[in-house]
Amino acid sequence: MSVVVDSLAFRYPAAGAGLDGVSLDVAPGEFCAVIGPSGCGKSTLLKLIAGFLSPAAGQIRIAGTDMTGVPPRLRNLGIVFQNYALFPHMTALENVAYPLKLRGIGRAERLNRAGQALERTRLSGLADRHPRQLSGGQQQRVALARALVFAPGALLLDEPLSALDAAHRAAMRDEIRAVQREHGIATLHVTHDQEEALSIADKVAVMRDGALLQLASPQELYDRPADRFVAGFVGHANLFDATVCGPDLVETSIGPLACTTEGRPIGTAVTLLARPEAVRTDPPDGAVNRFTGTLVRDRFLGSLRRYDLAVPGGTILGETLSRGDIRSVQIPPDCLRILPA
Amino acid sequence: MPIVTALYLLYLTAPIALLAIGSVGESWTNSLLPSGLTAGWYGQLWSDASFRRAFTVSLTVCVATCAVTALIGVPLAYAIYGASRRGVRAAARVLFLLPVAAPPLVLGFGFILVFSSDSLPFLGSGWLLVSGHVVSTLPYLMQTLVADMRHLDLVTLETAAESLGAGFRQRLLGIVIPSLRQSLSSGLIMVAALSIGEFQLSNLIAGFLSRPYPVVLLQAFYGATGFACAGTMLLLLLAVLSALASASAGRGLPSRKGTPS
Repeated sequence: MSVVVDSLAFRYPAAGAGLDGVSLDVAPGEFCAVIGPSGCGKSTLLKLIAGFLSPAAGQIRIAGTDMTGVPPRLRNLGIVFQNYALFPHMTALENVAYPLKLRGIGRAERLNRAGQALERTRLSGLADRHPRQLSGGQQQRVALARALVFAPGALLLDEPLSALDAAHRAAMRDEIRAVQREHGIATLHVTHDQEEALSIADKVAVMRDGALLQLASPQELYDRPADRFVAGFVGHANLFDATVCGPDLVETSIGPLACTTEGRPIGTAVTLLARPEAVRTDPPDGAVNRFTGTLVRDRFLGSLRRYDLAVPGGTILGETLSRGDIRSVQIPPDCLRILPA
Repeated sequence: MPIVTALYLLYLTAPIALLAIGSVGESWTNSLLPSGLTAGWYGQLWSDASFRRAFTVSLTVCVATCAVTALIGVPLAYAIYGASRRGVRAAARVLFLLPVAAPPLVLGFGFILVFSSDSLPFLGSGWLLVSGHVVSTLPYLMQTLVADMRHLDLVTLETAAESLGAGFRQRLLGIVIPSLRQSLSSGLIMVAALSIGEFQLSNLIAGFLSRPYPVVLLQAFYGATGFACAGTMLLLLLAVLSALASASAGRGLPSRKGTPS
């Protein structure tokens, strides 16, 4: 079943924040991540889809049915909350069986089905424990099993990994994706962690100030960001204010740069994007877009090394596998991307 | 420091120990300790009609107080917990401080003024006693309940239940009440202990035939010392039992704070 959000608008009465005409769709089996800084409206979007808020305008369709005016309990959505929201007075098994109980399924069958759901998340041995006796990761898996056990139309994940430590987060990320694939369910995952979003999702929606800036695959989002904000929010980036000063030539604070200007007229203000891994160290003398400077920051991250090279007029952020001294770098023209100013 | 602690403990326990000794002492007049040993005072207590009636009154008032505070307290605590308006929260804070800030004496005088009038002639009735106890104990129950609701993050639990398909009734009976049962029972036992031991207010507003135990007990101190000591020991026993029950009912509450992450 699919989730379609069409020109959705909402405004909080007091704060003035909200959503402005957000549209996106998640196909059956698709995993869509929604990212953005806090206050961008991503949680509001989730609450609107879940039915805990009512939109001022626009439409939400789940499996083709308009959800306007349908209360949350009838929307048949599996939701995993940030703090898991497991019922403290029930065991793991009872928690998972609860939505089946609400659907009038007999005790024996619902416990059986809940047991199978726990087995799928490798928790069968902990079925009789209460939430307070489970670790964060285990609670997370119980919450996931509970959200999926009643075969909901779609799965909504509200920052489900933010309460876990870094080591468990990566493993849980893979696990969520595996379970989601197995169920073939449309999934909307809200997170502030762009790395998490890129690694888990089929497509990523970037939001800011209540508006959807770009909806694209992780690769496209990284390689062809729609604007300066998306470029800076997703991954690391060199962003330069620039003015087109000739055919395939722009002027920046660090000097002229050769790049494809895609036929923009001279004098157009633009933003130039160069991803740090595209910056080459120690280019031959006379290479185009070559800069000489001094290393001001040097961070060894194991598999790579991230450095800041101070050049006249600015700083260039680069990533390299080399461990040698860095005095000059080159930004290859085909790695520079022109964005609106 | 250990000496100070020991002295303080002695200061706390000495009166209780003296009462216990006095309750089995045969005669106690103008001496540090009583002389002789007897169980007679307890027997006399058992056969005293006014004490037996007071005991029954106290238990009845206690049960009624618990029932009424629970019926009012749960929805009221829920409303305060769910209120986002500043004014409601401020009012709730005042309510929580009321039994500390306003002495029972003040409440008692207020009751006398209002309910001895011709239009509201209820002074001395059992129900007025119950409502007095409700007013003075309700804040304690509410405080326990609201704190537990906040600790449990009840709103999120309800939201989760709603997303899983639960309607209002199902959430109330399946999630809200069961997850509050520990704080509700520990809060109610506290209410019971307070109600059984309540003297100031009861002394002012109880009618002659509906005097609760502590009020009757005061009269005993004008008579034989041993008898009064035995009566006090009985009250103490009840209070200790309530406190122990309250502690064991609330045992699960603090442990939930240490949820492993």
